[in-house]
Amino acid sequence: MKKALALVLLVFLFAVQVMNSYGIQRFPKPEFESGYVQPETLMPDPRAEVLAIMDIAVLLVSLSVVSWLVLKKRSRNGVFWMSLFSLAYFGFYREGCVCAIGSIQNVTLALFDTSYIIPLSALIFFVTPLVYTLFFGRTFCAGVCPFGAMQDLVAFRPQKLGSKLNAVLGVIPYLYLGLAVLYAATGTDFIICRYDPFVGIWRLNASFGMFVFAGILLILGIFIARPYCRFLCPYGVLLNWSSRFSRRHLTITPSDCIQCRLCENSCPYDAIDIPVTVKNPEDKRTMARKLIFIIILIPVLIFAGGWTGSRLYESLAGVNAKVQLAKQIVSPPKDSNQPETFEIQAFKSSGKQQSLAFAEASAMLGKFYLGGWLLGGFMGLVFGGLIAGLMITKHHTDYIPNKGTCFSCARCIDYCPVKMP
Amino acid sequence: MYKQKSTDKTISLLQSIATAAALLAFVLCVLILVNYYQVKRSDPLNSPAMKTMIERFRNNPDDEQIKNEIREFDLLARKAFFTTRWQIRTGGYLLLFSVLTVIICLKSVELLTPKIPDLPETTTGNFWDLRKLNRRWVIYSGVFLVSISLLFAFLTHNELGTTLDRISNTSASTTDSIDSTANNNQSAAEPSATDSSTAAVGDSAGLLQSLDGFPTQQEINSNSPSFRGPGSNGTVSQQGFPTSWNGVSGKNINWKTNIPLPGYNSPVVWNDKIFLSGANAAKREVYCFNLNDGKILWRSVVDKIAGSSATAPKVNNETGFAAPTLTTDGRRVYAVFANGDLVALDMQGKLVWAKNLGLPKNHYGHSSSLIMYHDMLIVQFDQSGSAYVMALSGKTGEQVWKTSRNVKISWSSPILVNTGKQMETILVAEPFVISYNPATGSELWRYDCISGEVGPSLAYADGVVFSVNDYSKLAAVQVGASPRLLWESDEYLSDIPSPIATAKYLFLPTSYGMMVCYDAKTGAKYWEHDFATPTYSSPMLADGNIFQLDKKGVMHIFKSDKTYISVNESPLGEGSVCTPAFVKGKIIIRGDKNLYCIGK
Repeated sequence: MKKALALVLLVFLFAVQVMNSYGIQRFPKPEFESGYVQPETLMPDPRAEVLAIMDIAVLLVSLSVVSWLVLKKRSRNGVFWMSLFSLAYFGFYREGCVCAIGSIQNVTLALFDTSYIIPLSALIFFVTPLVYTLFFGRTFCAGVCPFGAMQDLVAFRPQKLGSKLNAVLGVIPYLYLGLAVLYAATGTDFIICRYDPFVGIWRLNASFGMFVFAGILLILGIFIARPYCRFLCPYGVLLNWSSRFSRRHLTITPSDCIQCRLCENSCPYDAIDIPVTVKNPEDKRTMARKLIFIIILIPVLIFAGGWTGSRLYESLAGVNAKVQLAKQIVSPPKDSNQPETFEIQAFKSSGKQQSLAFAEASAMLGKFYLGGWLLGGFMGLVFGGLIAGLMITKHHTDYIPNKGTCFSCARCIDYCPVKMP
Repeated sequence: MYKQKSTDKTISLLQSIATAAALLAFVLCVLILVNYYQVKRSDPLNSPAMKTMIERFRNNPDDEQIKNEIREFDLLARKAFFTTRWQIRTGGYLLLFSVLTVIICLKSVELLTPKIPDLPETTTGNFWDLRKLNRRWVIYSGVFLVSISLLFAFLTHNELGTTLDRISNTSASTTDSIDSTANNNQSAAEPSATDSSTAAVGDSAGLLQSLDGFPTQQEINSNSPSFRGPGSNGTVSQQGFPTSWNGVSGKNINWKTNIPLPGYNSPVVWNDKIFLSGANAAKREVYCFNLNDGKILWRSVVDKIAGSSATAPKVNNETGFAAPTLTTDGRRVYAVFANGDLVALDMQGKLVWAKNLGLPKNHYGHSSSLIMYHDMLIVQFDQSGSAYVMALSGKTGEQVWKTSRNVKISWSSPILVNTGKQMETILVAEPFVISYNPATGSELWRYDCISGEVGPSLAYADGVVFSVNDYSKLAAVQVGASPRLLWESDEYLSDIPSPIATAKYLFLPTSYGMMVCYDAKTGAKYWEHDFATPTYSSPMLADGNIFQLDKKGVMHIFKSDKTYISVNESPLGEGSVCTPAFVKGKIIIRGDKNLYCIGK
């Protein structure tokens, strides 16, 4: 049955893409001799304010309900049905927008570009899940995020990846976050939205590349639960940090852990910390020396990362429209049979001087040079932090969810034989 | 027990629904795909039936019946298309619904099925060893990320920032040049007419100090570094040239020297050195003559160039093996030959670098002359199938930029002008006049206005470029990001000599000996004059006079004016098809066999 499902899913995704491939203008506009005037293309009106408020209300209610289901009711079924609702509302109805993950970019742009006024809904979608996480753990991921819901639905045969792979792949979201902030801060692009894997399915208009990406994620998701959430989601980084300080987090057992180990393999996300009862075999002196070493190493890693990032600035800036235009002017395609790009046509018709275009591109390259240093430095800090984190371990005797990586999906609760009194 | 049975029944029901929904989804998928490929294969608007109807309509444009048939067919095609769209979209929604049903049913089964915990036998490995291993892997991934980043940076970095800075600096220089030129009072006899065309090559007190590696505009203007003078535009800003000489009697002939090998290239001059090239099927040479006494200072044989073809190219008698005029920047002299050999020699004739551009695919023989922009040698290579223009470093011969040109073969040469906004190098070949940024090779604008085998080069003055070719038309095009046609004419056309322009007038010579003067801005014809002798040489403007050499070697000198006022007719005593160079009060003319220096 599961194999058949995977097959159907694959064919389904391909068929969705086929539907989308028809979104092209196949015919020239008809020419009328009757004097009929073609209607002007109109821009759609912005979403009504009341509907935006409704989105916020649905978010707040959903977050509250899911948090209650996780912490009070301890109901996996409840969380599951809430995630279905979120998928329907925030996914298919709202077509993935507004979205907490993408709101990182709105906030960043608002910080770096004073002329940009961030929509209230985007700001609330950015802040609220973080605040809830700070109090209740990642309940947003559990049942409110449509991305998570979509992947959770197909997680039929989750396999354990092992701590090694989890540690290595866990770096990717930091890089994605850094890049998203860099591109938003420079006004280049909202890459999280551009490379949103599921929005194309919700809107039935995915490009072929994004469709393949979504298909791979969903098929992978059958065996590796929530691959996007764990190894890509940039908002997950912020939620991870926030959740570590959560006041009330999901617990596997409502009372004392009886060490039955029944929950040990229950988490499809490898987010249960097994008890650490054995002390570190290394003596305190060695540990202290290593810790001092890593503390010294972190600034070195930041500088090395920054330097590496600064070498990449021109490549990173390559997607910026201003830089692309300058590049096209400076290096036109070698094949002169190629028609002029729309950018060049638009530039020529604008009457703008080349010198201005080049000056803008130069200024943008300057921003990316600084951004490259900052991005690289951030990644250096991330690696330093990860290494340091892997050296410091709190001893605990119970099976506990890892506050950072646990999605609060409540699966483990069902495996615990200890029930609430 | 009853509850368990009920749950089992529900699970069984859900599984059945999931199976049915999965089957439905599969069938829908297949139908959508089949529909897609059916529609993709059909192209009703380009179907043979539609094409036949359109052809019939073209032959009978008044036939209402065919018109209606086309309309009906068109409507049918549109209806079919939109019906298919509807079918696919509806099918898509059904598909989505069925897949969601499958997932929900299976999920429900999962929720209803009692969980049997998978009790692990032992805890996996030693915790601290695992930690150590994880640390190691994080370090490996960091090293990997840095390596990949650096490799990516190395592969994709293209010095764009440096290029933009360089262009900015160049633009700044150009702006200086424009501003200063506006303040300079040109000394030509027709100041108002020559101002703009002289500005085409610019002059600037701000640029008097020599920039490293290339001459200042003042140095360029005080020499004759390329075909048709500075900027290759035919206008000379120097003064005091003779208007009367006689090659037979020796009047005003300073000296005359035999040229060893034939060639149709024109002389170029830098300080006291005149450069020419000569070639036949077997031999290619570059010559340097002393401007003061006509003695050959050195001759450099061009051979053994890597990649040079052993067989000589097929050339027309009127093109020969050494048609392109040389160019110089005062540091080196550059020459190109019909076999594609391109050389740079220092001012003493020593080879600096050489390369072969490949045997030009050109049925008459390559003839486009060379030109310099700053320290870059610009080469127009309009050959069959793969035309291009490129800039090479004058110092090393390394390619600075290369731009493909979607044009036919041409025999014209590039011009270099200052349009007031920027320096542009403008080329002409069927079907376009195309302007390029000489610093980067990027195309600035193009205008479709010419056809045929283009031989004449362009003329430029005061923001207007003039193109002409036989069996095509004479076109005056306002330059700029959106070029526009000011006027055109097909009464007189040229196939070899190039026109010359001032802000007010355009002078158009024809190869059969006519000279026509037009209003540069309106195209109104002021006069025409028949010299009655064929002319291949291009006219030059100096001292307010136009100098036009005919094939018999007679220089027709007349005023740059809206009425034809002859100044003089001076014979060389020897035929010539080359364009003279004007420098330091002397006129250098390449005759069929000899090089002449004419001066007072």
